[in-house]
Amino acid sequence: MGKGGGSGGAGNLGREALAYVDALHNLARYLTGSVQDAEDLVQETYVRALQADQQFTPGTNLKAWLFRILRNTFIDQYRRRRNDPTIGGLDTVDPVAQDAAHEDWLRDDIVLDRLRNVVAEDIEKALMQLSKEARTVILLDLEGQTETEVAEILGCAVGTVKSRLARAREALRQRLKDYAR
Amino acid sequence: MDCREAQLHLMDAQRGRLRPELQGALRAHLDTCAVCSRAEAEEQVLTEILERRLPQHPASIALKRRLAAQWPVAPVATRSWWSRWGASLVPALVVAVVLLVALPAYFEHTNGVRKDDTSGMVREAVNNYLRLISSQHPLDIASGGIHQVKPWFEGRLDFAPVVSFEGDQDFPLKGGSVGYFLDRKAAVFVYGRRLHTITLFVFRAGGLPWPTRGLEAMGRASASASVSRGFNVLLWRSGELGYALVSDVDARELRELGVKLAGGT
Repeated sequence: MGKGGGSGGAGNLGREALAYVDALHNLARYLTGSVQDAEDLVQETYVRALQADQQFTPGTNLKAWLFRILRNTFIDQYRRRRNDPTIGGLDTVDPVAQDAAHEDWLRDDIVLDRLRNVVAEDIEKALMQLSKEARTVILLDLEGQTETEVAEILGCAVGTVKSRLARAREALRQRLKDYAR
Repeated sequence: MDCREAQLHLMDAQRGRLRPELQGALRAHLDTCAVCSRAEAEEQVLTEILERRLPQHPASIALKRRLAAQWPVAPVATRSWWSRWGASLVPALVVAVVLLVALPAYFEHTNGVRKDDTSGMVREAVNNYLRLISSQHPLDIASGGIHQVKPWFEGRLDFAPVVSFEGDQDFPLKGGSVGYFLDRKAAVFVYGRRLHTITLFVFRAGGLPWPTRGLEAMGRASASASVSRGFNVLLWRSGELGYALVSDVDARELRELGVKLAGGT
């Protein structure tokens, strides 16, 4: 399949795996920031999924399994690109956001209303300013993955997911305030 | 419940994952604590704008075609499982053969419903769901509320779909369309759950092999819960109408919507 795939079968993996291509591509797009890189990442994800299809247990969460492969594939690529210019590491929230003093910008309804009116383009920009791990956890949560599922995808404890998600959302709120003014 | 604990549970509460015994305590705390109440509002606004306005980047049609074209047609054996498991499987195979012979006869005798018939309904529900979510135009009528969607079906179906749940903040009604369920027309109602799609098919129930075993109370109905290819399916009937509720949300959330629907049918 594509780049070196096709050697694996689809023993445990039916074509319904393709039903998740949009969700996978959306996460890939937000991780890579590029349409072409996202397509390559999704394609590589399916190649690896087919090669590892015997490891998938039918009846378990196929979507979470595919997300895990995509995330691991992305990490492999990330490690190969040591000159990646992304702010922060994979496992951190943008230090600028972390260091930002907590402001009272949301302390009244006017600010909340302004936040509600932030346009789509600015939400995307704010999200892209976060670290990749922060983006990932926010997007997986939006996709409806439970904390347990996210923990399996990221390979960490459920409590870690909870704290990462809280920090990521807080960082995103801090970023959005710039667009809400 | 103190502020630290309350804020720890805010996200779970928003996601409908908080245990019932904690929900009351959280609500009581929020009613009296301005700081936590504000934090809840902030989380809600952030969730709202992310769910409604964050641009989505679906895969291109070219990528979908490429993946579909390159998907293996048939399974390929990659390992000799018999050499690893064969000896230990012999007793299990003997039992399986006995069950294979005895169980179908038993069920046909006692029930008159064959498993693969019911499986056919589940399979149909999932296939219809997949068709709908992959469609470029899944909705014939975008929702302006249940009172716009239901009248739209008049003249398009040979029955009146009975659905009184008009959607709410947790499960907004997105719209409807006309589809098919096996050999008959169906009213299709589409609800949302965060970024997920939940589809309700309503159709004439007569002549279908409805499950009679393993039913669970759900609102005023008794429903059969199944998992097929990772999708959760609830099947139930009410009077002359049948209902199939399908989604990739987890079983508990789907059942939550099922109770709302069955309670009003």
